Amino acid sequence: MALPSSLEELIEALRCLPGVGPKSAQRMAYHLLQHNPRGATRLSQALATALDTLRRCERCNNFTESEVCSRCQSSKRDATQLCIVEMPIDLNTMEQTHAYNGLYYVLMGRLSPLDGIGPRELAFERLLSRASDGLVKEVILATNFTNEGEATAHYLSEMLHARGIKVSRIARGVPVGGELEYTDAATVAQAFIERRDY
Amino acid sequence: MSAKQRIDGVAAFLLHSHPYSETSLVLDVFSREHGRLPILARGARRPRSALRGTLIGFQLLELGWFGGGEVKTLAKAEWCGGIPLLKGRCLLLGYYLNELLLKLLPREDAHPTLFDSYAEAIGALANGADDAPELRRFEKALLKEIGYGLSFGHDADGAPVEAQQRYGYFIERGLIAIDDAEGFTLSGKTLLDIDADDYSDPRTLSESKILMRQLVSHQLGDKPLQSRRVFIDLHEL
Repeated sequence: MALPSSLEELIEALRCLPGVGPKSAQRMAYHLLQHNPRGATRLSQALATALDTLRRCERCNNFTESEVCSRCQSSKRDATQLCIVEMPIDLNTMEQTHAYNGLYYVLMGRLSPLDGIGPRELAFERLLSRASDGLVKEVILATNFTNEGEATAHYLSEMLHARGIKVSRIARGVPVGGELEYTDAATVAQAFIERRDY
Repeated sequence: MSAKQRIDGVAAFLLHSHPYSETSLVLDVFSREHGRLPILARGARRPRSALRGTLIGFQLLELGWFGGGEVKTLAKAEWCGGIPLLKGRCLLLGYYLNELLLKLLPREDAHPTLFDSYAEAIGALANGADDAPELRRFEKALLKEIGYGLSFGHDADGAPVEAQQRYGYFIERGLIAIDDAEGFTLSGKTLLDIDADDYSDPRTLSESKILMRQLVSHQLGDKPLQSRRVFIDLHEL
Protein backbone atom coordinates (compact mmCIF):
# COMPACT_ATOMS: atom_id res chain seq x y z
CA MET A 1 0.00 0.00 0.00
CA ALA A 2 1.28 3.45 -0.83
CA LEU A 3 2.45 5.73 2.00
CA PRO A 4 0.59 9.00 2.63
CA SER A 5 2.17 11.57 0.36
CA SER A 6 3.36 13.86 3.18
CA LEU A 7 5.16 10.93 4.85
CA GLU A 8 6.72 9.96 1.57
CA GLU A 9 7.85 13.53 1.03
CA LEU A 10 9.42 13.63 4.52
CA ILE A 11 11.36 10.42 3.86
CA GLU A 12 12.49 11.71 0.50
CA ALA A 13 13.54 15.04 2.06
CA LEU A 14 15.64 13.36 4.76
CA ARG A 15 17.64 11.59 2.08
CA CYS A 16 19.37 14.84 1.20
CA LEU A 17 21.51 14.40 4.32
CA PRO A 18 24.94 12.86 3.71
CA GLY A 19 25.07 9.11 4.26
CA VAL A 20 21.27 8.76 4.58
CA GLY A 21 19.79 6.12 2.31
CA PRO A 22 16.13 5.11 1.92
CA LYS A 23 16.16 2.78 4.97
CA SER A 24 17.71 5.29 7.39
CA ALA A 25 15.44 8.04 6.08
CA GLN A 26 12.42 5.88 6.81
CA ARG A 27 13.68 5.10 10.32
CA MET A 28 14.32 8.80 11.01
CA ALA A 29 10.90 9.84 9.74
CA TYR A 30 9.05 7.28 11.88
CA HIS A 31 11.17 8.14 14.90
CA LEU A 32 10.38 11.84 14.62
CA LEU A 33 6.67 11.28 14.08
CA GLN A 34 6.14 8.52 16.68
CA HIS A 35 8.56 9.25 19.48
CA ASN A 36 9.69 12.82 19.22
CA PRO A 37 7.14 15.20 17.67
CA ARG A 38 8.53 18.08 19.78
CA GLY A 39 12.00 17.40 18.49
CA ALA A 40 10.57 17.36 14.98
CA THR A 41 8.91 20.75 15.46
CA ARG A 42 12.13 22.16 16.85
CA LEU A 43 14.12 20.73 13.94
CA SER A 44 11.79 22.16 11.34
CA GLN A 45 11.79 25.58 13.01
CA ALA A 46 15.56 25.63 13.48
CA LEU A 47 16.06 24.67 9.86
CA ALA A 48 13.68 27.36 8.61
CA THR A 49 15.26 30.02 10.86
CA ALA A 50 18.79 29.07 9.87
CA LEU A 51 17.92 29.16 6.19
CA ASP A 52 16.22 32.48 6.67
CA THR A 53 18.81 34.29 8.79
CA LEU A 54 22.18 32.82 7.87
CA ARG A 55 24.20 34.39 5.12
CA ARG A 56 27.84 34.57 4.08
CA CYS A 57 30.03 37.09 5.89
CA GLU A 58 31.12 39.71 3.40
CA ARG A 59 34.69 39.50 4.59
CA CYS A 60 35.41 35.86 5.54
CA ASN A 61 32.70 34.05 3.55
CA ASN A 62 31.72 32.02 6.65
CA PHE A 63 28.11 31.70 7.80
CA THR A 64 26.85 34.61 9.87
CA GLU A 65 23.64 36.43 10.76
CA SER A 66 24.94 39.91 10.07
CA GLU A 67 26.61 41.47 7.07
CA VAL A 68 30.05 41.09 8.64
CA CYS A 69 30.57 38.40 11.28
CA SER A 70 31.66 39.21 14.84
CA ARG A 71 35.13 37.75 14.33
CA CYS A 72 35.82 39.97 11.33
CA GLN A 73 34.57 43.00 13.28
CA SER A 74 36.55 42.26 16.44
CA SER A 75 39.28 44.77 17.29
CA LYS A 76 41.10 42.06 19.25
CA ARG A 77 41.96 40.12 16.07
CA ASP A 78 45.08 40.88 14.06
CA ALA A 79 43.88 42.25 10.73
CA THR A 80 47.33 41.93 9.14
CA GLN A 81 47.09 38.12 8.99
CA LEU A 82 44.58 36.25 6.87
CA CYS A 83 44.31 32.48 7.10
CA ILE A 84 42.66 30.63 4.21
CA VAL A 85 40.84 27.39 5.01
CA GLU A 86 38.70 25.09 2.89
CA MET A 87 35.66 24.62 5.14
CA PRO A 88 34.08 26.22 8.24
CA ILE A 89 35.06 23.11 10.22
CA ASP A 90 38.73 23.80 9.39
CA LEU A 91 38.32 27.30 10.80
CA ASN A 92 37.00 25.78 14.03
CA THR A 93 40.06 23.51 14.18
CA MET A 94 42.41 26.46 13.69
CA GLU A 95 40.59 28.34 16.48
CA GLN A 96 41.01 25.40 18.85
CA THR A 97 44.79 25.70 18.49
CA HIS A 98 44.80 29.08 20.34
CA ALA A 99 47.92 29.69 18.26
CA TYR A 100 46.41 32.11 15.78
CA ASN A 101 44.79 35.47 16.37
CA GLY A 102 44.38 36.76 12.81
CA LEU A 103 41.38 36.70 10.52
CA TYR A 104 40.08 34.04 8.14
CA TYR A 105 38.72 33.42 4.71
CA VAL A 106 36.66 30.27 4.12
CA LEU A 107 36.81 29.00 0.54
CA MET A 108 33.86 26.62 0.97
CA GLY A 109 35.65 24.01 -1.10
CA ARG A 110 38.86 23.26 -2.95
CA LEU A 111 40.03 23.07 -6.52
CA SER A 112 38.92 19.74 -7.94
CA PRO A 113 39.65 19.69 -11.68
CA LEU A 114 38.11 16.26 -12.24
CA ASP A 115 34.82 17.43 -10.73
CA GLY A 116 34.92 20.69 -12.66
CA ILE A 117 35.53 22.82 -9.55
CA GLY A 118 37.81 25.67 -10.52
CA PRO A 119 38.51 29.28 -9.57
CA ARG A 120 35.13 30.43 -10.89
CA GLU A 121 33.19 27.98 -8.72
CA LEU A 122 35.25 28.96 -5.65
CA ALA A 123 35.03 32.71 -6.38
CA PHE A 124 38.80 33.25 -6.23
CA GLU A 125 38.22 36.85 -7.34
CA ARG A 126 36.38 37.58 -4.11
CA LEU A 127 39.19 36.18 -2.00
CA LEU A 128 41.80 38.10 -3.97
CA SER A 129 40.00 41.38 -3.42
CA ARG A 130 39.57 40.54 0.30
CA ALA A 131 43.32 39.90 0.62
CA SER A 132 44.12 43.14 -1.20
CA ASP A 133 42.38 45.40 1.36
CA GLY A 134 45.68 47.08 2.19
CA LEU A 135 45.69 45.84 5.81
CA VAL A 136 46.61 42.20 5.15
CA LYS A 137 50.38 41.70 5.30
CA GLU A 138 50.53 37.91 5.34
CA VAL A 139 48.23 35.25 3.93
CA ILE A 140 48.53 31.84 5.59
CA LEU A 141 47.41 28.96 3.39
CA ALA A 142 45.81 26.29 5.57
CA THR A 143 44.14 24.18 2.89
CA ASN A 144 44.34 20.42 3.33
CA PHE A 145 47.40 18.36 2.46
CA THR A 146 45.54 16.41 -0.18
CA ASN A 147 46.35 16.80 -3.88
CA GLU A 148 43.31 19.10 -4.25
CA GLY A 149 44.31 21.17 -1.23
CA GLU A 150 47.87 21.47 -2.54
CA ALA A 151 46.69 22.54 -6.00
CA THR A 152 44.45 25.17 -4.35
CA ALA A 153 47.33 26.45 -2.21
CA HIS A 154 49.70 26.59 -5.18
CA TYR A 155 47.44 28.69 -7.38
CA LEU A 156 46.39 30.99 -4.55
CA SER A 157 50.03 31.60 -3.67
CA GLU A 158 50.86 32.49 -7.29
CA MET A 159 47.98 34.94 -7.51
CA LEU A 160 48.72 36.51 -4.13
CA HIS A 161 52.45 36.79 -4.87
CA ALA A 162 51.58 38.55 -8.12
CA ARG A 163 49.71 41.14 -6.02
CA GLY A 164 52.74 41.64 -3.77
CA ILE A 165 51.27 39.89 -0.72
CA LYS A 166 53.47 37.71 1.52
CA VAL A 167 52.26 34.13 1.52
CA SER A 168 53.02 31.26 3.89
CA ARG A 169 51.82 27.66 4.08
CA ILE A 170 51.22 25.70 7.28
CA ALA A 171 53.90 23.03 7.80
CA ARG A 172 53.32 19.31 7.55
CA GLY A 173 55.10 16.29 8.91
CA VAL A 174 55.16 13.81 11.76
CA PRO A 175 52.38 14.70 14.25
CA VAL A 176 53.16 16.11 17.69
CA GLY A 177 53.90 13.23 20.05
CA GLY A 178 54.19 11.01 17.00
CA GLU A 179 56.69 8.21 16.71
CA LEU A 180 58.25 7.40 13.36
CA GLU A 181 57.50 3.73 13.90
CA TYR A 182 53.77 4.40 13.89
CA THR A 183 53.65 7.10 11.24
CA ASP A 184 52.64 6.16 7.71
CA ALA A 185 55.47 5.96 5.21
CA ALA A 186 54.09 8.66 2.88
CA THR A 187 54.06 11.19 5.75
CA VAL A 188 57.59 10.31 6.84
CA ALA A 189 58.80 10.49 3.21
CA GLN A 190 57.34 13.97 2.81
CA ALA A 191 58.69 15.07 6.20
CA PHE A 192 62.12 13.94 5.02
CA ILE A 193 61.85 15.71 1.65
CA GLU A 194 60.74 18.93 3.40
CA ARG A 195 63.30 18.69 6.23
CA ARG A 196 64.75 21.97 7.47
CA ASP A 197 67.95 23.30 9.05
CA TYR A 198 68.02 22.73 12.76
CA MET B 1 35.15 -14.52 -12.03
CA SER B 2 34.06 -16.33 -8.89
CA ALA B 3 32.55 -14.27 -6.11
CA LYS B 4 35.34 -15.22 -3.72
CA GLN B 5 38.15 -14.35 -6.05
CA ARG B 6 40.86 -12.45 -4.28
CA ILE B 7 43.52 -10.44 -6.04
CA ASP B 8 46.67 -9.39 -4.25
CA GLY B 9 49.73 -7.24 -4.75
CA VAL B 10 48.66 -5.35 -7.89
CA ALA B 11 50.53 -2.19 -8.86
CA ALA B 12 48.00 0.60 -9.28
CA PHE B 13 47.36 4.33 -9.29
CA LEU B 14 44.33 6.06 -7.82
CA LEU B 15 42.75 8.19 -10.56
CA HIS B 16 39.77 9.61 -8.70
CA SER B 17 37.47 8.83 -5.80
CA HIS B 18 33.93 9.59 -4.70
CA PRO B 19 32.45 9.56 -1.20
CA TYR B 20 30.22 6.56 -0.59
CA SER B 21 27.89 6.28 2.43
CA GLU B 22 29.02 7.95 5.65
CA THR B 23 32.57 6.68 5.89
CA SER B 24 33.59 4.97 2.64
CA LEU B 25 35.03 5.84 -0.73
CA VAL B 26 34.59 4.40 -4.19
CA LEU B 27 37.97 4.53 -5.87
CA ASP B 28 38.55 4.69 -9.58
CA VAL B 29 41.78 2.76 -9.89
CA PHE B 30 44.14 2.16 -12.83
CA SER B 31 45.94 -1.10 -12.17
CA ARG B 32 48.73 -2.60 -14.21
CA GLU B 33 47.28 -6.10 -14.64
CA HIS B 34 43.54 -5.46 -14.43
CA GLY B 35 43.12 -2.06 -16.04
CA ARG B 36 40.69 0.51 -14.73
CA LEU B 37 38.22 -0.60 -12.12
CA PRO B 38 36.00 0.71 -9.31
CA ILE B 39 36.92 -0.44 -5.81
CA LEU B 40 34.99 0.21 -2.61
CA ALA B 41 37.28 1.28 0.24
CA ARG B 42 35.25 0.67 3.39
CA GLY B 43 35.88 3.09 6.24
CA ALA B 44 38.40 5.10 4.22
CA ARG B 45 36.80 8.35 5.35
CA ARG B 46 36.82 7.55 9.06
CA PRO B 47 38.84 10.17 10.99
CA ARG B 48 41.62 7.76 11.99
CA SER B 49 41.55 5.50 8.94
CA ALA B 50 45.00 4.19 8.06
CA LEU B 51 43.96 4.47 4.41
CA ARG B 52 44.07 8.28 4.60
CA GLY B 53 47.84 8.38 4.30
CA THR B 54 47.85 5.64 1.66
CA LEU B 55 45.15 6.29 -0.90
CA ILE B 56 46.82 9.26 -2.54
CA GLY B 57 46.60 10.17 -6.21
CA PHE B 58 49.77 10.21 -8.38
CA GLN B 59 51.48 7.74 -6.04
CA LEU B 60 52.34 4.16 -6.87
CA LEU B 61 50.24 1.83 -4.72
CA GLU B 62 50.01 -1.90 -4.23
CA LEU B 63 46.39 -2.95 -3.89
CA GLY B 64 44.55 -6.13 -3.04
CA TRP B 65 40.79 -6.65 -3.47
CA PHE B 66 38.05 -9.24 -3.65
CA GLY B 67 34.59 -9.61 -5.14
CA GLY B 68 33.14 -10.81 -8.39
CA GLY B 69 30.77 -7.93 -9.10
CA GLU B 70 31.47 -4.76 -10.99
CA VAL B 71 32.62 -2.91 -7.88
CA LYS B 72 35.35 -4.77 -5.98
CA THR B 73 36.07 -4.39 -2.28
CA LEU B 74 39.45 -3.16 -1.15
CA ALA B 75 41.27 -5.67 1.04
CA LYS B 76 44.70 -4.14 1.27
CA ALA B 77 46.49 -0.98 0.21
CA GLU B 78 50.14 -0.18 0.50
CA TRP B 79 52.00 2.92 -0.50
CA CYS B 80 55.09 2.05 -2.56
CA GLY B 81 56.83 5.40 -2.64
CA GLY B 82 59.53 6.39 -5.07
CA ILE B 83 57.55 9.22 -6.72
CA PRO B 84 57.59 12.63 -5.03
CA LEU B 85 54.17 14.27 -4.63
CA LEU B 86 53.19 16.37 -7.62
CA LYS B 87 53.34 20.09 -7.00
CA GLY B 88 51.79 23.20 -8.48
CA ARG B 89 51.20 23.29 -12.21
CA CYS B 90 52.29 19.65 -12.56
CA LEU B 91 49.40 18.64 -10.31
CA LEU B 92 46.97 20.16 -12.81
CA LEU B 93 48.73 18.34 -15.67
CA GLY B 94 48.46 15.14 -13.65
CA TYR B 95 44.70 15.67 -13.39
CA TYR B 96 44.61 16.07 -17.17
CA LEU B 97 46.27 12.65 -17.60
CA ASN B 98 43.82 11.15 -15.10
CA GLU B 99 40.84 12.64 -16.89
CA LEU B 100 42.03 11.23 -20.23
CA LEU B 101 42.24 7.76 -18.67
CA LEU B 102 38.86 8.14 -16.95
CA LYS B 103 37.14 9.25 -20.14
CA LEU B 104 38.90 7.17 -22.79
CA LEU B 105 39.91 3.90 -21.17
CA PRO B 106 37.16 1.30 -20.86
CA ARG B 107 36.90 -0.53 -17.54
CA GLU B 108 38.58 -3.88 -16.86
CA ASP B 109 40.77 -3.79 -19.92
CA ALA B 110 44.39 -4.48 -18.97
CA HIS B 111 46.92 -2.10 -20.51
CA PRO B 112 50.29 -2.79 -18.86
CA THR B 113 52.26 -0.78 -21.45
CA LEU B 114 50.01 2.24 -20.97
CA PHE B 115 50.29 1.81 -17.20
CA ASP B 116 54.07 1.99 -17.52
CA SER B 117 53.79 5.09 -19.73
CA TYR B 118 51.54 6.70 -17.12
CA ALA B 119 53.93 5.85 -14.28
CA GLU B 120 56.82 7.22 -16.31
CA ALA B 121 54.98 10.47 -17.12
CA ILE B 122 53.91 11.02 -13.49
CA GLY B 123 57.45 10.26 -12.26
CA ALA B 124 58.92 12.70 -14.78
CA LEU B 125 56.42 15.45 -13.84
CA ALA B 126 57.13 14.87 -10.15
CA ASN B 127 60.87 15.16 -10.74
CA GLY B 128 60.51 18.46 -12.55
CA ALA B 129 60.98 17.30 -16.16
CA ASP B 130 59.90 19.56 -19.02
CA ASP B 131 56.19 18.80 -19.08
CA ALA B 132 55.15 19.20 -22.73
CA PRO B 133 57.15 16.23 -24.12
CA GLU B 134 55.85 14.03 -21.29
CA LEU B 135 52.25 14.92 -22.12
CA ARG B 136 52.77 14.25 -25.85
CA ARG B 137 54.41 10.86 -25.18
CA PHE B 138 51.57 9.86 -22.91
CA GLU B 139 48.88 11.04 -25.35
CA LYS B 140 50.54 9.02 -28.11
CA ALA B 141 50.75 5.90 -25.91
CA LEU B 142 47.09 6.30 -24.92
CA LEU B 143 45.84 6.75 -28.50
CA LYS B 144 47.81 3.71 -29.58
CA GLU B 145 46.48 1.57 -26.71
CA ILE B 146 42.83 2.43 -27.24
CA GLY B 147 43.16 1.11 -30.74
CA TYR B 148 43.73 4.27 -32.62
CA GLY B 149 45.94 3.00 -35.41
CA LEU B 150 47.60 6.20 -36.52
CA SER B 151 51.10 5.66 -37.78
CA PHE B 152 53.27 8.74 -37.57
CA GLY B 153 55.87 7.24 -39.85
CA HIS B 154 53.56 6.53 -42.81
CA ASP B 155 50.90 8.47 -44.69
CA ALA B 156 47.38 7.25 -45.52
CA ASP B 157 48.67 5.30 -48.54
CA GLY B 158 51.39 3.59 -46.52
CA ALA B 159 54.22 5.61 -48.02
CA PRO B 160 56.99 6.61 -45.58
CA VAL B 161 56.66 10.17 -44.26
CA GLU B 162 59.24 12.52 -45.75
CA ALA B 163 60.82 15.14 -43.51
CA GLN B 164 60.58 17.98 -46.06
CA GLN B 165 56.94 17.38 -47.04
CA ARG B 166 53.96 19.01 -45.30
CA TYR B 167 51.01 16.83 -44.28
CA GLY B 168 47.42 17.37 -43.35
CA TYR B 169 45.65 15.08 -40.92
CA PHE B 170 42.17 13.84 -41.81
CA ILE B 171 39.94 12.06 -39.31
CA GLU B 172 39.29 8.42 -40.33
CA ARG B 173 41.79 8.66 -43.19
CA GLY B 174 45.12 9.67 -41.77
CA LEU B 175 48.02 11.71 -43.07
CA ILE B 176 47.93 13.06 -46.57
CA ALA B 177 50.73 14.98 -48.26
CA ILE B 178 49.52 18.51 -48.96
CA ASP B 179 51.23 21.26 -50.87
CA ASP B 180 48.88 24.23 -50.45
CA ALA B 181 48.74 25.74 -46.97
CA GLU B 182 44.99 25.57 -46.33
CA GLY B 183 43.97 24.54 -42.82
CA PHE B 184 46.30 22.95 -40.30
CA THR B 185 49.29 21.16 -41.79
CA LEU B 186 52.43 19.88 -40.13
CA SER B 187 55.87 19.04 -41.35
CA GLY B 188 57.06 15.52 -42.07
CA LYS B 189 59.91 16.11 -39.65
CA THR B 190 57.43 16.72 -36.80
CA LEU B 191 55.72 13.40 -37.60
CA LEU B 192 59.03 11.54 -37.67
CA ASP B 193 60.01 13.20 -34.38
CA ILE B 194 56.72 12.15 -32.76
CA ASP B 195 57.33 8.63 -34.06
CA ALA B 196 60.76 8.65 -32.43
CA ASP B 197 59.53 10.41 -29.21
CA ASP B 198 62.01 13.20 -29.89
CA TYR B 199 60.68 16.61 -28.83
CA SER B 200 63.92 18.60 -28.84
CA ASP B 201 62.80 20.79 -31.78
CA PRO B 202 60.50 23.67 -30.67
CA ARG B 203 58.50 23.37 -33.90
CA THR B 204 57.90 19.67 -33.19
CA LEU B 205 56.58 20.67 -29.76
CA SER B 206 54.16 23.27 -31.07
CA GLU B 207 52.91 21.26 -34.07
CA SER B 208 52.57 18.02 -32.09
CA LYS B 209 50.50 19.82 -29.45
CA ILE B 210 47.94 20.90 -32.06
CA LEU B 211 47.86 17.46 -33.69
CA MET B 212 47.46 15.61 -30.37
CA ARG B 213 44.74 18.00 -29.28
CA GLN B 214 42.81 17.23 -32.47
CA LEU B 215 43.27 13.48 -32.07
CA VAL B 216 42.31 13.53 -28.39
CA SER B 217 39.27 15.77 -29.02
CA HIS B 218 38.09 13.41 -31.74
CA GLN B 219 38.29 10.49 -29.29
CA LEU B 220 36.52 12.44 -26.56
CA GLY B 221 33.68 13.43 -28.87
CA ASP B 222 31.33 15.76 -26.99
CA LYS B 223 32.74 14.98 -23.53
CA PRO B 224 34.40 18.23 -22.39
CA LEU B 225 37.67 18.08 -20.45
CA GLN B 226 36.98 19.60 -17.01
CA SER B 227 40.66 19.71 -16.06
CA ARG B 228 41.51 21.73 -19.16
CA ARG B 229 38.74 24.24 -18.43
CA VAL B 230 39.95 24.67 -14.83
CA PHE B 231 43.54 25.01 -16.05
CA ILE B 232 42.56 27.77 -18.50
CA ASP B 233 40.45 29.56 -15.86
CA LEU B 234 43.38 29.51 -13.44
CA HIS B 235 45.80 30.93 -15.93
CA GLU B 236 43.40 33.72 -16.84
CA LEU B 237 43.28 35.07 -13.30
